[in-house]
Amino acid sequence: MTDRWTPRLSEYIDGELTAGERHAADAHLAECGDCRRTLAELRTVVARAAAATPRPPGTDLWDGIAEQIGRPQAFDTPPRRAPWRVSFTLPQLVAASLALMVVSGGAVWIGQHGGRATSIPSLGATNSREEPAAHTTAAVMTDGQYSRAIADLEQTLQNGRSSFDPSTIGVVDQNVAVIDRAIEQARQALGQEPANIYLNNHLTDLKQQKLSVLQQVTAAMTLSSR
Amino acid sequence: MEALALNAEAGSVPPLDTSSDVARAAAGDVRAFEALYRAHLPRVYSLVRRLTGGRDADELTQDVFVRVWQKLASFRGDASFTTWLHRLTVNIVIERFRSERTNRRRMLDGDDVFATLSGPSVSHDLPMDFEAALEKLPDGAREIFVLHDVEGYKHHEIGTLLGISPGTSKAQLHRARMMLRKHLG
Repeated sequence: MTDRWTPRLSEYIDGELTAGERHAADAHLAECGDCRRTLAELRTVVARAAAATPRPPGTDLWDGIAEQIGRPQAFDTPPRRAPWRVSFTLPQLVAASLALMVVSGGAVWIGQHGGRATSIPSLGATNSREEPAAHTTAAVMTDGQYSRAIADLEQTLQNGRSSFDPSTIGVVDQNVAVIDRAIEQARQALGQEPANIYLNNHLTDLKQQKLSVLQQVTAAMTLSSR
Repeated sequence: MEALALNAEAGSVPPLDTSSDVARAAAGDVRAFEALYRAHLPRVYSLVRRLTGGRDADELTQDVFVRVWQKLASFRGDASFTTWLHRLTVNIVIERFRSERTNRRRMLDGDDVFATLSGPSVSHDLPMDFEAALEKLPDGAREIFVLHDVEGYKHHEIGTLLGISPGTSKAQLHRARMMLRKHLG
């Protein structure tokens, strides 16, 4: 049975009627058994919803997630292939190092000399004066969080060195050292110009570069250890 | 839309203490992220499954965690991670609904959706009856019922999320409850 109060019983339950409406509804409920019964059933539904508990899926979904984020499979699953050693070609890594040095040196130069793009190497000119760095992981971390994250990753790198080709790990170290020098240069420059937005962004970018390099290397180590 | 949803007060759920895993995962620690996944999977999966009626729940749950991995850097800790994750999940499911909405009918008419149910349950597995009944609701009514009665969203917040008026949200909620009462009452 439906009367004019039936469509409003949910509002009655949720306390959304005005005082006058609630008074009228109470008066109607006192006389209408159908509405009282409906109200009781609706309250049961609401109670059941409030008591609903979380349930996990029937199957573990981690492997699909790990695959999509480009990371290792579940830690409790057996390895699907023989361990392998991470290796890049030396020319690739040297090229990466040189590019990084050029970019970093050029970027600091820009910050200190006002960013005349025509007077710096073209690699540096692509940096972020016109496009400020987006909020990266390093950008949203406090100094303490960043330091802890770097320390954890460096420890992981240290523990997993044996899984890397020695020439590869050497170039990784070289790249990290280049970034560290660039960070130091940026910090020194910021010491003279603390309000320089470009230098601040550049320092954040460098910190993010170091974080990314360490993340990628340690992720590769984890993968190779399977 | 997402910003609006993230500002909503709804969807508050008891937080799990996974703050150290959050910080490590944000720094790229896959083990910490897997720990987060395992801690939050039941809640995320249940929310996805209830909102979708079970359709593609596994795939959507995976999508949620992939997006979490991609967006962890934007988590600033203003809300608890649990609340942030919950809102992100709702947004992802709603995005999916929007993309599907052009292809199929969303709000079924009539109250005969329970015709396929086997009448009042004689099973004592009450939660399963509740989940099964939810899956039979029309999509629009189910979304609003889950957001309001299971997750605690207010009508104005649901309206913002779904792009409907609070009055429509109230009407759909009542409709869902009226459909469910015969099976759960």
